[in-house]
Order: sequence, then structure tokens, then C-alpha cells
Amino acid sequence: MTVSLSLENVSAHYGSTKVLDDLSLHVAEGELVSLLGSSGCGKTTTLRLVAGFLEPSGGKIRLGDRDLTRLPAHARNIGLVFQTYALFPHLTVRENVAFGLKQRGVSRAEQRRRAGDIIDRVGLGHLAERHPANLSGGQRQRVALARALVIEPPLLMFDEPLSNLDAKLRVDMRVEIRRLQQANGTTALYVTHDQEEAFSISDRVAIMNAGQIMQLDTPEVLYSRPANAFVADFVGFENMIPMRAISEAGDAVRAEMVGGATLDLPKSQFTVPAQDFILATRPEGLEVTAGGAGIPATLGLRTYLGRAYQYHCETAAGTVKANGPLTQPFAADSAAVLVPRAEQCCLLPQESA
Amino acid sequence: MKQRTHPLLIAFAVLVFFFLLGPLVIIIGASLSDTSYLTFPPQGLSLRWYENVFEISAFKRTMVISFLLAVGGTALSMLIGIPAAYALARYRVELPRFLGNIYVLPILIPEIVLGFSLMKSLATGLGLPIIAALLIGHALLVLPYCVRVVGASLNSFDFSIEEAAVSLGCPRWKAFFIVVLPNVRAGIIAGFILAFITSLNDVSVSIFLTGPGVSTLPIQLLAHMEQFFDPTIASVSVLLMGVTVAVMAIVERTLGLTFLTK
Amino acid sequence: MPPRLRAWALSAPALLLVLLFLGLPVLSTLATTFGDPAGPLAQYATFFESRFRMTVLWRTMEVAIITTSVSLVVGFATAWVVARAPSRLKSLLIIAAVFPLLTGVVVRSFAWLVILGKNGILNNFLMGIGAISEPFSMLYTQGAVIIAMIYLFVPLMILTLVGVLEGIPQDLTDAAASLGAKPAAAFRQVVLPMAVPGLIVGSVLVFTGSFTSYATPQLLGGERQMMMGTFLYQRAMVTFDWVGASTIAAVMVAVTLTTVIVMSKVARRLNPVAG
Repeated sequence: MTVSLSLENVSAHYGSTKVLDDLSLHVAEGELVSLLGSSGCGKTTTLRLVAGFLEPSGGKIRLGDRDLTRLPAHARNIGLVFQTYALFPHLTVRENVAFGLKQRGVSRAEQRRRAGDIIDRVGLGHLAERHPANLSGGQRQRVALARALVIEPPLLMFDEPLSNLDAKLRVDMRVEIRRLQQANGTTALYVTHDQEEAFSISDRVAIMNAGQIMQLDTPEVLYSRPANAFVADFVGFENMIPMRAISEAGDAVRAEMVGGATLDLPKSQFTVPAQDFILATRPEGLEVTAGGAGIPATLGLRTYLGRAYQYHCETAAGTVKANGPLTQPFAADSAAVLVPRAEQCCLLPQESA
Repeated sequence: MKQRTHPLLIAFAVLVFFFLLGPLVIIIGASLSDTSYLTFPPQGLSLRWYENVFEISAFKRTMVISFLLAVGGTALSMLIGIPAAYALARYRVELPRFLGNIYVLPILIPEIVLGFSLMKSLATGLGLPIIAALLIGHALLVLPYCVRVVGASLNSFDFSIEEAAVSLGCPRWKAFFIVVLPNVRAGIIAGFILAFITSLNDVSVSIFLTGPGVSTLPIQLLAHMEQFFDPTIASVSVLLMGVTVAVMAIVERTLGLTFLTK
Repeated sequence: MPPRLRAWALSAPALLLVLLFLGLPVLSTLATTFGDPAGPLAQYATFFESRFRMTVLWRTMEVAIITTSVSLVVGFATAWVVARAPSRLKSLLIIAAVFPLLTGVVVRSFAWLVILGKNGILNNFLMGIGAISEPFSMLYTQGAVIIAMIYLFVPLMILTLVGVLEGIPQDLTDAAASLGAKPAAAFRQVVLPMAVPGLIVGSVLVFTGSFTSYATPQLLGGERQMMMGTFLYQRAMVTFDWVGASTIAAVMVAVTLTTVIVMSKVARRLNPVAG
């Protein structure tokens, strides 16, 4: 039973503060979509709206052909994994997992069998009679996962499920979550503030800010082709250099930056979005060279990254970070030229602030 | 958004709060009555029963005694309770675990049994003056509040801060005063207030320890009630409620009211 | 100074206060009950054979149990509403519960004297609406004592249980709902089991408090509704029968300590978190 989830023009308020602004989102059947953003961006609110813990002030929420908008939380049939795991401390692992089956009037023997199966699947067969207080963080996480999976919900939701685990376990668990989700073909909504986590397991990621989705796309596109300055900054395009297109020079656009330096951007590699635009790159997208066509800079602090040296460079447009080759370290205070690598740069429209 | 509470349940809770506050409102009303007997709603408004309180020397005297006793007993209890609480929190390994339970014995043993026993041993046995016996009794009565409430603050205190002070050259005893105490201030205030109120309102211990000439306000109230049934008692009660209001205002200003549910 | 010595030195004053002025006097009270020439248990034989004493003991038990049960139900229902109220209202309600709690026992019992007395408010009201023609005395009855006791202890129960209910994370009830539990099922299967230890703690507080109370039965029960506390006082200060009073004291200590110890064992066993 796989269905799609759609949010249509959903808004939400806390008192008079608007926390979600006309948000629309479609999660296709069997797809895992992550909501990614810093705290207060509205990602958890979105999840709680779908779960039925909050009521939207406008819009519709549909799961398949069911309209969830006014349905009470207990009638929604959604598997939810909480950040705190929210295991019932007075129940054993088995009782925790069987809880949802019990509410559905499943017979005792069937409860036992199905709970037992899923507990075995998450590798906790030997701990089934323990109480949550006697489990490690990772084990609790597995119980929470089993408890959400056992009701075979058409939609699984995860609210920062890994944020209370240590780094290594986080990686193991996210792989496991992805494996179980794909094995069941369940539609899933995953909330996190961890970019690597979101990118590594999602089909698509929605980057959120101030109650709105800034960009919704595959991790690959988000990583290399952010659509706006917010997303670019979020995915690590640390350098944002404002430019203005001033003329055409053959098959290139000539752009001028603060301080008067110009740069020719070949049309075959760059699409200039507007007359005023931003050249956004990660440090590795700017190559430090001794001379040639590029952005003139004075090199400052040098740090060693293992694969390259990184320089803090003073340019007319401010400080930018750029990487240089290990084979040829530059001395501090030397003059250099920063050459943008086309495939690692993005030209973004200048946003009206 | 929390789920709605059933309207019948809300109606019930409203009734409960009427039940809780109604009688106190009645006392306030009765204290303002112009009549010489207790009645509500008050007939005619007058403050003469408040004046009467201060004309009865027994009330004036016991008010002073009760106040001094509550302050003195609590201060004494704090003086010995804070080091005890500090030792419990700081030296968990060095001290046996049951030690913490000894300090709460005064609330575990029925108060009236404590009062009776103190009367036999202190007042009659040792022949202590009434006021001394009262002071010891009240210090004992409020010790659990001092140790427990201050202890709760100390338990969440990070003792590495104290060690930091010592490592910076501060003597241990001084570190206690300039580093530990200021950080458990909230616990000390809360403990002091609870202890003060407990002592001020105490009946069961005091009733055995008061004697000719020396009594506390609640005991005096009880005695007065057996002979007279006039609005004076209501007026004294309202004055005592005033103390409660003042105490709650202090709590609100210094700690916020959230600490009351903890 | 080695740490162990320092720890004991800091603890000594408080320990001495408790041991010298509580331990010794209370033990001596208990000891006198075994000193009867007719045999160590003679005082207790007298106590448990005396009809009057047993009536007082059972009456006290009865009042304490009724007070505890009613306070538990009333307190839990009210605490439920308070815990779920919006935060501004919640603070107000908590203040409204704390205020009577911090107001003395004498004042609060006195209020019921005014309400239930022969010329009291309730009689006046009932006569006013024509329900009765003659005022009748509601004072010095068991009902009067119980009402005043409930009045005394409901705030304590409310505050204890608000703390308990707020200690149950919202996530748990959310989780129950997400797994399909209707509100009533979530209450029965999650909230109630989690609240049980707190309910026990509140009940023990109220039971021991009402079992050992003095001022309220004195004012509202008088001689006619003698309870253990007032009985102890009467024996000690009116008839000066200190050995008899000590026996009453010993019975009170036995009942309260047994209750506390047994119930805290039960609470620990039912504590969900211990596993």
C-alpha cells in the first residue's frame, strides 16, 4: 500500500506568528523527501501538521485520496519516529512495538507474532522483554523505528531521528532507515537539520527557510546548482561575488566586479541570469594561480586541508576563500589571480534585499 | 496544540476553585462586618475588628513572638541545614546514603508526636525556658525544608566551578561563600520561605510548648476561638492571609512562580 | 582536613539537632509505653481492648481514608485541567491552589466554623431558601471534619499531581495518538500508568497528614469527634496521662511509618522507569 502525500497551500500560525506560509509539497509514492533547514524554519511544524498534532490555519493535506486536514491524529495511520524516540517507559520493547497493533484490535497472538518479527528485523530479538530505560540510544532508536513500521503505515515520518546518537551510529542508522524504507516501498517524510544526512538518503530534499520551501530538488541538483543565494549559502557556496554584465566579448559575456576588474564568462559554460548577478562558488571552485585572466587577489592566511591548501584572499569584493594546489604553495601576502572553474560555479540572480 | 479538555471536567475544576477560594473570601467578608458576631455577607462595613486586634494585647504579643520565632527558627535551621545539604551533595562517596533520610525525620514523625515528646523532654525534663524549647522545636520542624530545598539546588550545582575557584587561588572556605552560595541562592530563598510559612502556621508542635505568657499567634487564635466568636478572629485571619500574599509576591519577584509546582 | 572528616564535620550540627532533639525524645516517648509493671505490652493491651480508644482509632482511619480518596479524585481531575490550561491561566490557577496551601491550618479550619456553625452561612442560606425551618448544628460531626480536611488537602494534591502530569512528556501522548490510540485509550494505557507513582505519593501525603492532624478535628470535631491527634492532646494536657498519651503516639507513629514504607515500596515497584 503506497500512496503519495500532498500539502496544498498549507499555512500555520502560533498565536499571531505565521510559521508556515502557503506551503505546497508533493511526496510521490515510495519516495523519501527530506525537509532540511535550521531551527525555526518550519520543518518540524510541517511534520506535526501532517501528523495531526497541529491544525493548519489554511490549506489541505492529502494522503492518497484521503483528506487528512481535519482528521484527529489517532485516525491518520502514519508511522512517526520522534526525536526523543518517545518510547513508553512503562512498557517492554515488545509491548511498545505491539502498542499500535493493540489499538487496531489485532488479536493478542497476532500482535505477538508481528511485533516479534519486526523486533527481529531491527536486530533486537534478544532484548524484547527489556524496558526502554535499560537500552542504549541506538537500541531505543531501533525500537522507535520498529514501533512505527509494525503498523505498516502508508506514510512514515521522521523528526530528527538521529540527532541524539553519536556520529558513527548516526551513519549506520540512516543507512538502515533508508534500507527499511526502500524495502517496504513506503512513502516517507524526513525532517533534519543535518545536510549530509538529508542528502545521503533522500530522493529529494526541500530546503526550508522562514516557513517557505526555498528549493525542492534532488540532492545532486541542490549540491551543484542551487537556485538562489539562500540555498547556495546553505550548501556551502562560501564565496558570493556580486558582478554586473557590461558587454559581450565574442562568445563570452564580459562582467565587471567591484574595483573594476573584469572577467569573461564563456556563454557555452555560463548562463548569465540578469544584468546584476552573483558569482557563487565553493573554495574549490576558485583556483589560485600566479597569473592570467581572473580575479586579482592578495593572499592571506593559508590553511592545510589535506587535499589542498586553502587561502583567505583579499579582493576588491571582500575576503573570499580559494584553494590552491599542494605542489605549489604560495607565500603569504603574495599577489595572485583567482580563476573560477566553470563546472563548480553558479551564477545567481541578484536578490532585491 | 493540545487536545480540548472535556467541558464537564472544566466545569468541575471551576467548582473546585470556588470551593478552595470561597471560604477565604467569606473570612475577608466577615472581618469587615459591623456586627459583633460573625456573619457573611457582611452587614455594614467597618474596620473596627481590625482595630480590635491591636487592642488585644495577647494578639499583639503573640504576633511578635510568632514572627521572631519563624525568622529565628528558620535562620537557625538554615545555619546548620546548609552545611549538611552541602556535605550531602559534595561528599556523596564519603557519607552513607541513609544520612539524607535522617534530616527528613521531622516530617516523617507525626508533628503532634514530636510536640508531645519535646514537651516531655525539653520543657519538663530539662526545664528549658518556653521560648528556647519553641525555638528548638521550630528549627527542627523546618529542617527538612532547609536541607531538601537547598539540597535540590546543590544537586544541580556543578562542583567543578568550585574547584576552578580553588585552582585560581581562592581558599576553600571562601570559595563556598563567593562561588557556591550565590549559585544556590534560589534554593536558599525558596527553602527559607517554605520554612518560614511552616513555622508561622504551626499548631501541632507549638501547642505543647507554649505556656503562660509565651504563646504563638495560631495557638492564641485557637484559644480565642474557644471563648469568643467575634469578627476579630476573621480580622487576624485576613492579616495572616496578607502575610501569605506578601510571601507569594516575594516568590514571584525572586524566583518566578514555576518553582511552586516542582 | 581529609574529605571524610570534613563531610562529617559539616553534617554534625544538623545530625545532632535531629538525634538529640527528635531521636531521643521520641524514643523516650516510645520507651515509656513498654515500662508498664504489668508487662511490656500491657499499655497496648489496654489500648486495643478499650472500646473508646478503638472507636477513636477507627474514626481517624475512616476520616483519613475518605479524605484521601476524595482528595485524590478531586485533585486529579482538577490537576488534569490545570496541566492542560494555557500557560497564563495555568499560572493563575497554580497561584489559586498555592494560596490556601500557604494559609495556615487554623485560618482554613476557622472558615468552616463560620460556614457550618449554627448561625453560620450554610444554615442561613438553607433557611433563606426555605429548605429548613430551624437551624441545625453541622459542627462537631464527622462530616464537618471530613469536609474541612478535604478542603485542607485538595490544594496539596492538585499541586503534586500537576507536577506529575507535567512530568509526562507530550511526546508520549503524541506517540500514542500517532499509533492510533484514541484519547481515552492513550489516557488509560499511557498517562495513568505513568502517573501512578505520583498518585501514590500524593495519597501518602494526604493520608498521613489527615491521620495525624490536630487543629481541624479540634475545631470542627471537638470532644464528640475525637481523633488520634486531639485524643493525644487531651490525654497529655487535660488528664495528664502521659503513658496513655505515649501509647497513642506510638500507634500514630506505627500507622504513619507503615503507610510510608509500604506505599513507597509499592510506588517503586510500579514506577515505570525503573523497569
